[in-house]
Amino acid sequence: MTTIEQLQPIFRSVFEDDDLIVTREMSANDVENWDSLNHITLIVEIEMYTGLTLTTEDLISLANVGDFVDMLESKGFVPNGAG
Amino acid sequence: MIENYRHINILKESVCSKFPYFMGGFDRQYEKFGDDWASAFNRELEIFFGSDDGRIESAALGYGAFCLDSMKLQVEFNKTLEYRNKTYAEASSEVYQNRDYMFGLYLPGILISHYLWEHHYVQLKFYEKEVIPQIEDIDNPLIYDVGVGTGFYTKEYLRRVESSQVVGFDMSPHSLEHTEMMVKRWDFSERYQSRLGDILERDQTELCDVINSIEVLEHLENPVEFLHGLNKMLRPGGLGFISAAINAPNADHIYLYRNADAVAEQIQTAEFTILSQTVDQAYEPRKSGDIVPTNAAFVVTK
Repeated sequence: MTTIEQLQPIFRSVFEDDDLIVTREMSANDVENWDSLNHITLIVEIEMYTGLTLTTEDLISLANVGDFVDMLESKGFVPNGAG
Repeated sequence: MIENYRHINILKESVCSKFPYFMGGFDRQYEKFGDDWASAFNRELEIFFGSDDGRIESAALGYGAFCLDSMKLQVEFNKTLEYRNKTYAEASSEVYQNRDYMFGLYLPGILISHYLWEHHYVQLKFYEKEVIPQIEDIDNPLIYDVGVGTGFYTKEYLRRVESSQVVGFDMSPHSLEHTEMMVKRWDFSERYQSRLGDILERDQTELCDVINSIEVLEHLENPVEFLHGLNKMLRPGGLGFISAAINAPNADHIYLYRNADAVAEQIQTAEFTILSQTVDQAYEPRKSGDIVPTNAAFVVTK
């Protein structure tokens, strides 16, 4: 299971869209209610899921989900079945 | 159209290139407050940051980081209903005495929030309507701004009341430096002086006509003692403008006010009389039970 596949239920829950398909190219501009409040909720939910603490520096300049996933993996998150 | 305001657009593009989910904040403010808001905000940016777009871009990064920090703490606060346990000394070392943090993130964040955060802008409009008309008739009013922060309100008094003299007090040399920069860029330096240190340890013999203290109380371990200190600095019959953040966690917020009544009670305990007040939320709660940062501002007299 990839990191994106593992995080997809969190995205669906935060953005209240059970059909949302998360891709590496997806960004805030592609999801109607991806505003600042939902962004922070997403970050906090992902912190809880991964056990990582994300700093402001980690979160600046993430252009899309792919950048976000790369950042998580660079901080040590290992997707299930990948290690 | 908001696109007609050059400096706002530079800021908006800079913020949104790093934090695209903040895009809506600009448009919401413009839709709500229109060209009066945009014109004043653009002027603020133009005068403070000048023609150097790099300064705005740098401030945009600070603002975005400041908002992210605050919002993350707000999510945590919604679960715990408490601020992180911190002493004044810890907050001072982490924030007020930390020049990199102050100039990189905190001060640009607060400065821009005066226009981009709805409750901060509503507070500014309240000040314009409720405070300024009461000062205009005073000859050469002496104004003390205690806890100057960025110098935003110091500058507002100097700008709106041409005969005023303002003395700014702060525990942070970096806030005072920022305020001096602000006053200089608006060309008001001749009517401004600054004082570093704790007002409670100062023997301020000259009483002021107006005392201003914007969002300072929540930074203190003992706000009532501080309010008594403010009261001592104001002449009888003088005017005060005092505000506090409620349910608003931040890196340096220590004292938790859970509602505006708690602030009002302390102001009255310090023997001020409240003349008028405004209580404003940062945004509409997303769902029932969500606690939203709120601001309470009071016009008072002694």
